[in-house]
Amino acid sequence: MSAESGRSRQWLLTLPSLAWLGVFFVIPCILVIVTAFRPADLQGGVGSGWTLETIHAVNDPSYLPIIWRTVWLSSVTTIVCVALALPMTFQMARVGPRMRQVLLLFVVIPFLSNFLIRIFAWKSLLHPEGPLTRLLHWLHLIPEDALLLNNVGTVLLVLIYTQLPFAILPLYAAAEKFDFGLLDAARDLGAGPWRSFAKVFVPGVRRGLISATLMVFVCSLGQYVIPQMVGGASDEMLGSKIAQRVFADRNLPHASALAAGLMLAVLVPMLIVAVWHRFGRKEGSA
Amino acid sequence: MKRSWLPSLITLVVVVFLFAPLVVLVMNSFNASRFGGEWDGFTWNWYEKLWAANEVWESLAVTLKIAVSASLASMILGTLAAYALHYFRSWLQDVHQMLITLPLVMPDILMGMSLLALFVICGVETGLLTIWIAHVTFCLSFVTMVVLGRLQDFDFTLIDAARDLGATRAQAVRKVLLPLLLPGVLAGGLLAFTLSIDDYVITFFVSGPGTTTLPLRVASMMRTSRSLPVINALSTLLIGSTFLLAALSFRLQRRT
Amino acid sequence: MDGFLVIDHVSKSFGSLRAVDDVSMSVAQGEAFSLLGPSGCGKTTLLRMIAGFERPDGGRILVGGQDITTLPPEQRPVNTVFQNYALFPHLNVWENVAFGLRMSRRPREEIRSGVDRMLELVRLSEHARKRPAQLSGGQRQRVAIARALVNRPQVLLLDEPLAALDLKLRQHMLMELNAIHEQVGTTFIYVTHDQGEAMSLSDRIAVMNNGKVEQVDSPVHLYETPRSSFVASFIGDANFFTGTVVEMQHEGYVRVSVEGLGSPLVLSKGTVSANQTLRLMVRPEKISLMLKRPPSGERVNAFRGIVEDIAYFGSHTRYRILAGEHSILAQLQRSRFSGGDIDPVRGTEVWMTFHPDEGRVVMLEGEA
Repeated sequence: MSAESGRSRQWLLTLPSLAWLGVFFVIPCILVIVTAFRPADLQGGVGSGWTLETIHAVNDPSYLPIIWRTVWLSSVTTIVCVALALPMTFQMARVGPRMRQVLLLFVVIPFLSNFLIRIFAWKSLLHPEGPLTRLLHWLHLIPEDALLLNNVGTVLLVLIYTQLPFAILPLYAAAEKFDFGLLDAARDLGAGPWRSFAKVFVPGVRRGLISATLMVFVCSLGQYVIPQMVGGASDEMLGSKIAQRVFADRNLPHASALAAGLMLAVLVPMLIVAVWHRFGRKEGSA
Repeated sequence: MKRSWLPSLITLVVVVFLFAPLVVLVMNSFNASRFGGEWDGFTWNWYEKLWAANEVWESLAVTLKIAVSASLASMILGTLAAYALHYFRSWLQDVHQMLITLPLVMPDILMGMSLLALFVICGVETGLLTIWIAHVTFCLSFVTMVVLGRLQDFDFTLIDAARDLGATRAQAVRKVLLPLLLPGVLAGGLLAFTLSIDDYVITFFVSGPGTTTLPLRVASMMRTSRSLPVINALSTLLIGSTFLLAALSFRLQRRT
Repeated sequence: MDGFLVIDHVSKSFGSLRAVDDVSMSVAQGEAFSLLGPSGCGKTTLLRMIAGFERPDGGRILVGGQDITTLPPEQRPVNTVFQNYALFPHLNVWENVAFGLRMSRRPREEIRSGVDRMLELVRLSEHARKRPAQLSGGQRQRVAIARALVNRPQVLLLDEPLAALDLKLRQHMLMELNAIHEQVGTTFIYVTHDQGEAMSLSDRIAVMNNGKVEQVDSPVHLYETPRSSFVASFIGDANFFTGTVVEMQHEGYVRVSVEGLGSPLVLSKGTVSANQTLRLMVRPEKISLMLKRPPSGERVNAFRGIVEDIAYFGSHTRYRILAGEHSILAQLQRSRFSGGDIDPVRGTEVWMTFHPDEGRVVMLEGEA
């Protein structure tokens, strides 16, 4: 096989997906950033010319609480999801193949089930006249007129619920490849179960851990359906604002500016991870 | 060696946590009571109402049309991409890899928003085509990952063996690589199908009047409290079919 | 160069590594030939070049007079039995074996009779409809052999054929391979790192090291008259000594002075000169042990030592004996120990002897 035909084969195979993603992913992202610098059209489109007005408008301090809420909700969600996923994938990787398939199925089915349905399930579960509320009333765990819905706690709960599979699956993939003999070795050398978990297992699934953290955090940052459906009026996240600007206010440039900001917030952790991987590979991986 | 019970407990709690709401949904779809607070008796009522709700079935048709065509397109593009990523090492593939990985981590709202911006600026009307394009775009990466996984497990000495026995490169690919790769490609396609059917946010951004997919229909139903119990019935059916599709995809991925 | 398969000054480098360095050899038609050497010696690269998966940087490869150096694998009259067998998992045994014939578009009848006949040869006819995953390791290997042979190649390449098999199966397959070779008569080329395998299977062996061929000879000659210390130590075990020529006698016998061993009489195939520094080799099983000093004589090589270590193997016993600076390996079958009923133990002083014919002069590595 000559070098020439090898090169043209590579281009031939790479071009379809590369071109598709270039046109329908890269260009749109660039367009969003570009649109942030354009004025809004009265009919809800994009006007001509350039302006920094939108950027100034976005600098509004009233956005700060929303941004802060988005960040802390995402962070808490990430921490809780990862904290639950670590022991769970640890267990999943240890059990026999039968049980493992069953557990995996248990995780995957909710994951693949319709997103809206899962939110709806919680809405009806937490409904003031729903079973859970009545149960908690009966157990005197919450006061008579407390509402389980439409508050920030519910948003957090449903966020964790929907993002949990995104934490479990990459961690499971890493845990499956983990050599559990290493834990035996650690125990043999005197480490207790907690320490061997923390010092041997967790570093051992490092790659999956990073993927899981990244995915959950980034996905949570962009959520808007959940706060919209189970949150109150004061529980908006950044995503809700973007959706509002696009559909309610019909102000594309404004929405683009917000979206561009979100895009940057998403790209930064990803770049950090990518750089880490590059350097991690150079010094040899575990 | 003493094993801690904590991981098993957490696993159990998580599984119950993940499944409980769905179980409640399924139960409530048969519950005569409107709010599912108490059990009012078994009924098929909601399923009957669902059967009669034409707008639901119309939206299902739209959804299926898009899902099938989007899966097919992303299967083809994804398989080519996976082959390129696996077989070649160059700066081109580094860029290619990054481009394939980005959509996987990009939040839906950004994808939807950016595609909408593209369509608005190019003056393309939102409708079936735009939804199809959006779906192929985000499914592509998933299919690539699945097929790439299969390729990495593939024993390429089989290609050498085929050539040693007289097959040209093209024949070896046709008669040995493709048949063995097919289950992986189908598993990827099935995943794409499921993701496409399920998508709400991106579709919301790029759909137009007259193209209501099932998730969009469900969302609007959720806003009118009249139709709430019917959603339970619909949800049960959807969960059931997800279960079947997931099981099928699993079996396809396991066959060596 | 004469021969059915001719390797003519073939070289191949990967970057700065010369994997195959100006290698030439010729194999006769119908011969069972082995490429033997440690990993990294270039044998696998050479095999891949014969099969067509690598292109030589220089030199030619000829089969039956035809230059196949630049032909792609699918056009060569050569078939390979791969180390991991590479059976197509999605085809059953019959279809696997028929694959090559199907590729060359042979008529249906010919394919059917060819495959059936080959399955009979390897005794797998009743497993024809099974998938590779349902077969044992030995059965899979026989399918791989059948799949290759059914195409009547002019040369059959076998890459580490016995490596994946356990001991009992290995001994069995060894006999089977020899039987198949005899029946089919095709030129077989084995590639292996196991000298026992090579010795049992081959008419001739090419011992390779660092990309070069050290010696091509029959197993007997390689063992009895190795031309370099590498070959001597790679094939079987060997004791090496360095000494200076003291006296030259006729018919190649030389007396060499070796520190700690006295001046044994040894045999040299080539010419030596006075005071030349030589390397000697004595095989462990050629050394006899006795408790008392043997009677001296012109053709008696005897020297003293202390037993360092003993390893019992059932059919034979190995002794490590310290003589001066040398740690010598001697291997005795039980019946050969003479000099009393007392077995030597660690620390016992013993006398070692070997016949002059068994003391061979070998070349050092790098010598011409």
